[in-house]
Formats: sequence, structure tokens, C-alpha cells
Amino acid sequence: MTFAVSDEFRDSFFEECCELLEAMQDGFSLMIDGRENVETIHTVFRAVHSIKGGAGAFDLNELVAFAHRFETVLDQLRSGKVRPTSELYLLFQQCGDHLSDLVSAARNGTDGNSETEALLLQRLQAATQIDLVPSTAAQTSDDDAGFVPLALEIAPLTAPAADTQHGWRITFNAASELFTSGNEPLPLIRALERFGPVKITADLSSVPSLDRLDPMVCCMHWTIDVETSETEDVILEVFEFVMDCAVVEIQPLTGADLSTIATPPKDAGSTGPDAGQQAPIALDDRDIAPSAPPIAATTAGGSASQTIRVDFEKVDKLINLVGELVIKEAALSQKIGQQQVAHDNAVLLELEGLKHLASEIQESVMAIRAQPVKPLFQRMARTIRDAAASTGKTVRLVMEGEGTEIDKTVLERLVDPLTHMVRNSVDHGLETQEDRIAAGKSPEGMIQLTAAHRSGRVVIEITDDGAGINRDRVRQVAEEKGLIAPDDHLTPPEIDALLFLPGFSSKQEVSELSGRGVGLDVVRSEIEALGGRMSVSSEAGFGSTFTISLPLTLAVQEGMVVDIAGQTMVVPIGAIKETLYATSATTHSIGLGEKMLSIRGCLMPVVDLGVKFGFRAEASDLRDRVLLVVETTANKQCALVVDALHDQRQVVIKSLETNYCKIEGIAAATILGDGRIALIVDPEGIARRATDFSPASALMAQTAHSEGGALETI
Amino acid sequence: MSTKDMLRVLVVDDMSTSRGLIIQALEWMGVATIDHCADGQTALQKLSASPVHMVISDYNMPGMDGLQLLEVLRKHESFSRIGFILITGTTDPEIVDRGTQLGMNNFLKKPFSPTALRACIERVVGPL
Repeated sequence: MTFAVSDEFRDSFFEECCELLEAMQDGFSLMIDGRENVETIHTVFRAVHSIKGGAGAFDLNELVAFAHRFETVLDQLRSGKVRPTSELYLLFQQCGDHLSDLVSAARNGTDGNSETEALLLQRLQAATQIDLVPSTAAQTSDDDAGFVPLALEIAPLTAPAADTQHGWRITFNAASELFTSGNEPLPLIRALERFGPVKITADLSSVPSLDRLDPMVCCMHWTIDVETSETEDVILEVFEFVMDCAVVEIQPLTGADLSTIATPPKDAGSTGPDAGQQAPIALDDRDIAPSAPPIAATTAGGSASQTIRVDFEKVDKLINLVGELVIKEAALSQKIGQQQVAHDNAVLLELEGLKHLASEIQESVMAIRAQPVKPLFQRMARTIRDAAASTGKTVRLVMEGEGTEIDKTVLERLVDPLTHMVRNSVDHGLETQEDRIAAGKSPEGMIQLTAAHRSGRVVIEITDDGAGINRDRVRQVAEEKGLIAPDDHLTPPEIDALLFLPGFSSKQEVSELSGRGVGLDVVRSEIEALGGRMSVSSEAGFGSTFTISLPLTLAVQEGMVVDIAGQTMVVPIGAIKETLYATSATTHSIGLGEKMLSIRGCLMPVVDLGVKFGFRAEASDLRDRVLLVVETTANKQCALVVDALHDQRQVVIKSLETNYCKIEGIAAATILGDGRIALIVDPEGIARRATDFSPASALMAQTAHSEGGALETI
Repeated sequence: MSTKDMLRVLVVDDMSTSRGLIIQALEWMGVATIDHCADGQTALQKLSASPVHMVISDYNMPGMDGLQLLEVLRKHESFSRIGFILITGTTDPEIVDRGTQLGMNNFLKKPFSPTALRACIERVVGPL
């Protein structure tokens, strides 16, 4: 019978590697910031060591070889033989990056970069004076260092002495209001029986005579002995909910106490005569008294950990089903609503319960997909280090809110845009060291990555302390590229927003880093594809902040159900800034039937969605129509005309593109409570086009030329 | 009944992959009962509840390392005769020396093949 390591293990090894690498990089960051403690170096060492150990089992020799040398150096640091310096820590960080690369390479079955490795090893050797020549790592050797296995001539194993057995004595002194607070002692005691044999003594001394007994007052106390290997915490957890109306004390049980608790019958195993003679340790099953049920043979080292690995498809399926459940629940609500049942009808109460449950299930399922942004940020840390190295800038990275959780899919799709953004920040945002010194700044640039939950969305900010956006230059480039007319009057935020226009790239020469023909417009459309919005703010001399605001999930959205020329449609709530009725005082006609809305001195184009989607010809009168003010990521506003507002509700997003095709102005579709399909409006897209093409906008002219025909739909 | 049919082993390793690999190898050998945990403290609790013939423990673990676990076992009367195999990433003579003094039954250097693990166990308990 041959032995083969299963693929499952390989996968789990690589996933474990990711966790270890994360811990390692955390450690290096602490060291570099001077915030390390005694445990830090041990943690880092253990991480590298564990990667090496695991890699060896999978014959990943390249990985083993580097991890071994890296570990050797870390070991010397750990034992104080190498003096820690900040240069050394930075070098470690790079070695850590290389180790990450090797892990990825091993996972993909490719080779690592041997030049980088040779260089790193050279530098390590130079910095630490440790001989790192091709080494002992590869020899898995049978070198037993002269050790002779110890064949102990000992007596057969005996059962552990009673005093080593774990057990707990719990004194449960309930307050008199135990019953009235909705608690019952019996289920608690039953719960303890799960852990092992239980002996209960009730203290009846405070129970009054029957004529004075109030059955609602608890006057009994209990002493419960439980024989178990569970920890104190696990036992106490049983009493978690009665802690405020009872005094629960717990003490370890002595062997003598335990002996009074009934023990389960002993296993009658048979003796293996051969084993007894040949084995230095005699093995006799009868001598092992099973004080607990026999331990089951376990597989795959899983049960000890706090997590399980689940196929992503299963989670997706669950999410879809929950979406359907929410739709069904809404349908049911609607049907019952149409029956005109009395308000105190029990069905309504139950329905309310169902509604509550459905939304809780939905939240919990969403939480399964949510993951902290930390690994993403760490990846960016790596990108920034590489970018800094290739531009010769020194960059300090500050991260905040790494624990913020976000949908896994969103997280994965953020990698590319965010990578581009941070490269951009290092390359264009931060000045060269000389320029910084000349400007009276620290030569070390700072980039800050922040993540936070803000009003139902996740906001990620990339801030640099560079020179800020050079607006004159941006303007000039935009003029040269024909994006704006020389006499256009633009406010500073409008100039900043030019960066996101297609075809804009301000850096004159193509930079090795960010100048790959990919502009911020691509980043923006990637973010928008995720339902996100992007904006920038900047202050000359002090730096820029790019803000990405993302929905928590891609699967559901809070939507406003509206009526447009008899059609039911949904407008995402997040996009709506304001809702108002149109009046003749606020709406003005200009040009060829174009309308503008003026509120608080702010002019914005009005888009009639009924006309936009071809449901009707231009409405002559806006009176009594509802205007939804929406804002684009470029801080431009636009008013959408709908006929009526119906309802605000959670809608499950069904992609239109995968089921049909992309439609201009429509983001997706959903299924309403009554089973009808409703299209979800894409306010961002509509507003952007409207503001880009509107006569009131300073940006319109040139872009209109480039995108041509859409004009007539407005 | 052969040795492996009776053998009860506790595997202690903080890294679930390594733990899983050892367990898989032990299953391949046909070892009857295999339990596992991720740290020394839990190992001691498990040993109190369900005794085993042998502990196979990693050396490098957070909290209590493999040899510290061995030290506790050897000091404790009811655990002192449990077989102990140390899994280590290095053949650092110092570790082997300490292990020898503490009375470890054998040790195995990582990475190892299942056959090597089998041989290592058999040198302590005889043919499986």
C-alpha cells in the first residue's frame, strides 16, 4: 500500500501558508515601527519554520531551501547573536516578500525568481555575517545526532490517578427571582450531562412549609459534580444566561470526589500477546481505563481549529436561496396584505416573525462572505515597497481599519484597481526625496490606507502626503487632449475630476510603474462595476486623497420602488440624495426642451426617465412629478424624473448582463414581491451622461464629441 | 491483535497541515486510535481524559514547546511512562540532548516520509 498526500492537504497547506505569511509580515511591520515585543521574533520565526516544515512534506525544495536560510538568520536574531537594525528589518521584509513569492510559485507549480533570491541571500549574509552557502536544508538526512531510541522497559500503562482526572463541582445558588426571569434550572443541569457523568445534590434547607411556599420563588440551591475533561470556561458557558440571577461557583473536583460519580463500564479489550512480548512499551487495552468515550480516529486535522473550509460555490448557492426566500417572503406579505386581514390577525404576527428571521438569515449569510481587508492591504504594502524601491523613494505606509469586513468577491476584484491606485500614489503622488526636502517635508513619504464602514457602505481611502494634484498641469493636458475647451471655466474639484476621464494621463513620459496605458478611468469603471463610487480631493503641497465607496455586498441592495410611465422600476437608495416635487419655481426650460432644476442656487440637468427609457415622448409639464436628486462620483448632480414613489425595500440583484445583455442606463434587474421583474436604474451612469452633455456643465462639449450619439436620448 | 490495532496516539502540532499529515500517515499505518490537538496545554487535558500509549509532538509550538510538554509529562506520575516522539525541524544537538535527558523515546526530523515515521515509531514500540 502506497502513501499519497492528498490534494486537499496541499490546498490546506497553502492556505495555512497565507495565514503564516500574514503573521510574519505583521511581525516585520511591528519591528520596523519599533513596536515589537519578545513574542514578535518568535512568532516570525515560527511562521517561517512552519512554512519550511510543511513545504518539506510536499517536496517543495526551492521553498524549503530559502525558508531554511531565512530561518537560520531569524534564529540567530532570536538568540541575540545578530544585532537588530532597522536596515536588517527592512531586508527581512523583502525576504518575507520573496518567501511569499516562492509560496505562490510553489502553488502554481512555477519557479521563483532566482536572481532576487541570490541578491537577497548575499545581502543577508553581508548584514549578518552568517554563512548561508547552499546548506543542510536539502539534506533531509537520517542524521540522528547520535541519538539512540529509548526502548523503555516499563510496566504496562495504567489508568491515570484519580486526582489527575478533571471534574468540576458547581455550586448553583439561584436568586429567588430565577423563575420569574424566565430561567429554569433543569435544562442547565441537562446541558451539563453532555460533558460527562453528573451528580446533583439539591439543598432544600430554605424551602418553606407548603402553606408558605410561593411557587414563583426559587428557594433551592444545587451542588452539581460533573466528571469531564472540559475546561472551566466551557462549563461556565452553560450558565451564561443565568449569571445575573444566580451565583455560580466552580471548583475542580478531587479524585475522591470523582470516585463517587458513577463511571461508565470498562471496555473489555483483548490483550495482544505478540505485542506484549515484542513491544518495549507493553500495549494492553485493558490497562487503559476509558474514563471518557473512546477517542475517535479523526481525519485531516480539522476539528481542533475554529474554522471550517467551505466550497465558495456552496455559499453562493446559499446566498441565492436566501435571496429567493426574501422574495418569497415579500410575495407572501403582499398576498396577505391584499386579503385585508385584521391588524391583530395572528397570521400577521407570524409573518412579522418570518420577516425578521429572513432578514437575520440574510445578514448571517452575507457575513459568511465578508472578509477583513487586511490581506488586501498587506498586498498593497508589498506593492508600495516594490514601487518605492523602483522609484528610489522612501515610503512609510500607515494602515487603518484593516479589520473592516467586505464581501469576498468585492475584495478580490479590488486587487487590481487598488494596486493601480497605490502605485499611482507612489509614482505620481509623492515627490522625490530632493523635492520633499526642498519643500521642507520629511524625505520619507507617507501613504495611508484606510477602510471603514460608513452609512451602509465600505469606504476605502488612499491618502498620500505628496504635492497634491498639479491643477495647472492637469488643465493643460486636458486642453491638449481636447477634453476641455481653453475657455472652459472649471472649479478645482472639476479639474481633479478630469483625472478620471478616458484617455487622460498626465505624466509626460510613460513611467515604468503606472504608465501602462491604464488610466484612472479604467480604475473608476472597475470600481463602478462593483457598484462603487470614486472621488478625489487634493490640496496643493499637502497631498491627495482618493476615496472609494463600495456597497457591502453585491447580492442585495436597498432600493426605492418607483413608477415610471406605468412601469415599475427600482432606483438604488444609496444614489438618491434628495427627493422633491417639481414646481414651476424650481424647474426651468432651456434650449431645445431641456430642463434644469435649481435648488439652493445649484443648477442641475433634469432627466425624465420615462423619456430616457422610451416609455413616452417628452412630458411637457413636470408638475406633480417626483424628482430624485442623484450625485455622480465626480460630485455632479442630476435630477431624475419619476411619476411616483412606491416603497423602499431590499432587492436581490439579478445580473442583466449574464441573463440578457447590457442596457445603457440599467444596472441590473430584480424580482419584486409579486413575482414581477423590475429593472434597476443605473443613476450614476445616467447622471454622468446628463452632466457630461448638459449645457450647464462646463465639461460637456468635448466629451460629447467623443461619445457622440447618446445626446439625442436626453 | 497486532500492536497497531491497540495503539492509541495523540498528535500535537500547532500547524494543522503538519498535524493532518502525521494523522494521515498514522491512518495509513493502520494505527487504531488517533487523537490530536494544537498545543501542549490541550494535550495535557486530553491525556487526563483519555490516556494514550504515545504522544507525537512537534517541537516548535507557541506557548509550551514540545520538550516542555515532555518535561511536564515526565514529572507527572501518571503520564511519565507515555511514549514520546518529538518532531523537529532541526537536528540541533542541544534539542536532542535536552530530549535525551528528559527521556524522549525517539525523534524525527522534518520533513519526513510516512515510512520514516513508521520506522521511528517501530523503534519504540516494536513492529506495528
